[in-house]
Amino acid sequence: MSTGSTPAASSARAEKTAATGASPTPAPTPAPASDALARRPLPAYRTVDLVLTVAIGVVFAFVFLAWGQVYTLFTPLQAVLPPSVGLLAGVWFLPALVAMLIVRRPGAAVLAEVIAAVLEMVLGGQWGIGTVVSGLLQGGGVEIAFLVTAYRRFTLPVAIAGGALSGILEWVYERFSYYPEWSWASAWALLGFFIVSGALLCGVLGWLIVRALGATGALSAFPAGRQWGRRSRA
Amino acid sequence: MSAGPTVLGVTAGADGTLGDAAPDGTGPASHAAVPLALDAVTWTPSTRSRPTIDDLTLHIPAGQRVLLTGPSGGGKSTVLRALTGLLDTSTGDLAGDATGPTRPGERGLLLQQPLHALIGGSVGRDAAFGPENAALDREEIQRRVTSALHAARVGLDAATSPWDLSGGQQQRLALAGSLALDPGALLLDEPLSMLDRPTARAVRAAILDVVGDRTLVVADHDADGWAPHVDRVIVLGAQAHVLADGAPDDVLEQPDPAATPDPATAPDPTAMPAPARASGTSGTPVLSLSRVSIARRRRRDEARGKRTIASPLLEGIDLAVPAGCVAVLTGPSGSGKTTLLRTILGLADPAGGHLERPEPSRIAFVPQEPEHSFVARTVRTEVTASPWAHDPGLAESLLQRADLGHLSDAQPFELSGGEQRRLAIIAALAQEPALLVLDEPTVGLDQERRTQMFALLEEATARGCAVLAATHDPDLITRAHVRLDLAEHGGTRDDDAQSASPEPAATGTALALAPATAPASASASASDTTLRPPRRPRPAPADVLNPLTTIAIAVAAAVGSFAIDRWQLGLLSCVLVAVLAPLAVRGVRSTALRLIPIALAAVGLCWSTVLASPLPVFSGTTWLLGLKEALRIGYFVAPGVLIFASLDPTRLGDALGGRLRLPGRPVAASVAGLVRAGLTADVWERIMTSRRLRGLGARRDLRHPLRSGAALVRLLASCTLALLVDAVRGTEQQALAMDARGFATAQHRTWALPSPFTRGDLVGLAAAALLLAAPWVLRTVLGG
Repeated sequence: MSTGSTPAASSARAEKTAATGASPTPAPTPAPASDALARRPLPAYRTVDLVLTVAIGVVFAFVFLAWGQVYTLFTPLQAVLPPSVGLLAGVWFLPALVAMLIVRRPGAAVLAEVIAAVLEMVLGGQWGIGTVVSGLLQGGGVEIAFLVTAYRRFTLPVAIAGGALSGILEWVYERFSYYPEWSWASAWALLGFFIVSGALLCGVLGWLIVRALGATGALSAFPAGRQWGRRSRA
Repeated sequence: MSAGPTVLGVTAGADGTLGDAAPDGTGPASHAAVPLALDAVTWTPSTRSRPTIDDLTLHIPAGQRVLLTGPSGGGKSTVLRALTGLLDTSTGDLAGDATGPTRPGERGLLLQQPLHALIGGSVGRDAAFGPENAALDREEIQRRVTSALHAARVGLDAATSPWDLSGGQQQRLALAGSLALDPGALLLDEPLSMLDRPTARAVRAAILDVVGDRTLVVADHDADGWAPHVDRVIVLGAQAHVLADGAPDDVLEQPDPAATPDPATAPDPTAMPAPARASGTSGTPVLSLSRVSIARRRRRDEARGKRTIASPLLEGIDLAVPAGCVAVLTGPSGSGKTTLLRTILGLADPAGGHLERPEPSRIAFVPQEPEHSFVARTVRTEVTASPWAHDPGLAESLLQRADLGHLSDAQPFELSGGEQRRLAIIAALAQEPALLVLDEPTVGLDQERRTQMFALLEEATARGCAVLAATHDPDLITRAHVRLDLAEHGGTRDDDAQSASPEPAATGTALALAPATAPASASASASDTTLRPPRRPRPAPADVLNPLTTIAIAVAAAVGSFAIDRWQLGLLSCVLVAVLAPLAVRGVRSTALRLIPIALAAVGLCWSTVLASPLPVFSGTTWLLGLKEALRIGYFVAPGVLIFASLDPTRLGDALGGRLRLPGRPVAASVAGLVRAGLTADVWERIMTSRRLRGLGARRDLRHPLRSGAALVRLLASCTLALLVDAVRGTEQQALAMDARGFATAQHRTWALPSPFTRGDLVGLAAAALLLAAPWVLRTVLGG
């Protein structure tokens, strides 16, 4: 399962030696997006993939706690126009997108989002077990967008589609679990806000976060690092 | 190349035989020492155009003790990684032959930062991680854990939390984690560089004790400490070229300039100008403490239970730091250095005494991890990022002084460790502070980088800045004009440093009262190594439940809530929750903290229902509909919110992996991430704090929600990036430590503890059935 351990190493070594022979000096420009894919087979998570996916979930559980403060600022708006609560929702989908854009393996979005949800729940988030249901759906939305591309395209449009899709799935859940008594007019408005927020606060923001993270050079062990990382200054 | 004669055996202590034999004689059959070999290995990471290992051939016979040394950046860590067989071939090109281990844990690995190597939620479960990956059965796991904890002289109860231990104890625990798989070789990557000297000596002795006839490879730029204990020294230059290889005496007698700093070029320890040394009382002090006492900080596990009034950590601290003067704050971990720094920085109030310090805008702080404070896109803008840095000309000259001019367009996060420290210091100096506070400014830096650091501190004092550094660096201590030693005056010593003699000369005085919360002071013989779930400080009846029962209760209530179709039914259902609640409650305060968010959410839902329902707004019927919604959501979430306080990630992992047989690696990795979540919380707090201290905190203004909202989003985005960088950097080391303990091939791992269903679970499942059925039954009874 791991590509770093012994059993896989001998064949990998032969493969890599051949590759080195073909192009001894890698090009000094960032690789195009299509080249920066996880090594196949995709379900074969390296340990570092698993650990990072989980770590992203943990990081965002704490970001979520801080994000609650932004909700406080927007209370007056929500008090007048209840569906506007959806405007801030995109941030909840971020761990799924950030993990997927970095690790680029099936299930990364769902795992990161569920970890964030479970930790938020254990820390005392107000939605209890509902947090985990949301986590599955929000992770699922991002997951579906990248599944459709067979995990081959990790571009901004797919990221936006993933965020929007998470918004739609989360809306279905909240419409029937949290807001069943709302009029359909309000419910549709909520859906609109969810989609916009998912596209911007998750899709665009998450993509920017991963690009910034890649530029730090910290992602060199991951496909995203090969796409966004600069060549070492050395 | 010559394998030197076996020079020295174990020097540290009489009981050097502990290594392989467990004290009770039940230890695992010992595997033989293994040889390590690299044949014509060339390694080019995919982010670099030149190899970091260039055609290296290295043969280490079984049982040999080898020191790999040389300057930072020479590739010692990468060579060590190659010797461990853990180069990840998807991140670079490997040519040549680097054979990997033949069984999990054959090659044990210790890292510079022991925190990265800690995986389990308790001391025992951490030691059990490797044997679990090797799919051993429970009896064998327990035997291995007991034997390894004794051999590494961890001396802690198996249920102790590993996160609050001192660095020395954590490194011993990491050693035990390796020993539990009975390695044939131990590979150590600068295992002592984060520790103070006495602790480092003690940990080195513990390591040498257990080596026995195993192969040992130590990578360390500090050659002197290891030289007496190894058979062979290899000096690596750039791209891991072998500069020298031979017996310690042969190699180290003619020191290569790259290997050890030449005493002639090493900085003069007294070079720091000493305006205050001659006349310590000249001028008014920039910082002065008189009879200050410091309260103990609340520990993490106490935060969940009741808040206890702690006895003071330190009392009677006197310190005066005049302008242009360097003061150091010394003492082992746990002696209160961090808490005292926080107080001086204005993040905590002193419990008593008098403290005078400059205005917040005149104090600058450099955290131990400089990355935590970075906010800007380029090095140049980082220097002037603080609103208190007004002079761009000064910033430019500081960049040149710190030798960062050629990097001014680079990203701060992509700099090397030494460059990041220098950047953080000049960013602090650009604020023209009266007081510069640094936390361990030289830890982990090699001699050359430390020299650059000292030059910058001189720059600070030359500008008339008072400098205060918490440190255990002897060179920095020698250079300081004022020293406040918390240990000498009775502060707790690190358990590892008991044998150390206190170092002389303190001009400040401190008196410590009670010892700091020692994570565990039990001696090795008294500690219980039986694997068991940690006991919570304040137990609740629901703690006995299997985690799966806990989840069943939460799901049952959520499903039951859909029966609630009128407010009367909602009220009755919530009464049921209130009746059951005491089973999950561990304290009034912690329960209130969990319930208040639910109450607010319920009020919000009531209000939004009133506005958004199809019924006429603000009519009586609408309000009752809103009330019903509030009660329904309370029933939906409250049982889960209450009962999840009893959910323990480790036990959840045992249930999901051991009982439900979900895939072992994802479950174990998730548990490992969740049990260290407290560390992430600490880092998040440090990141936020470092911004506040730079004047970059957010001000919330409810009159301008958009503007302050945007400012808050910007701040959160920058903090999130810093936290993610921190997490990613730790991730690679953690994964390395896990793979060295057999995690890469642990698809069919075992779980050290069972996940039993007990009589308590029958009660729990009955409660779940009640929560599920009651609303539906009541709905039928009430009719409709």
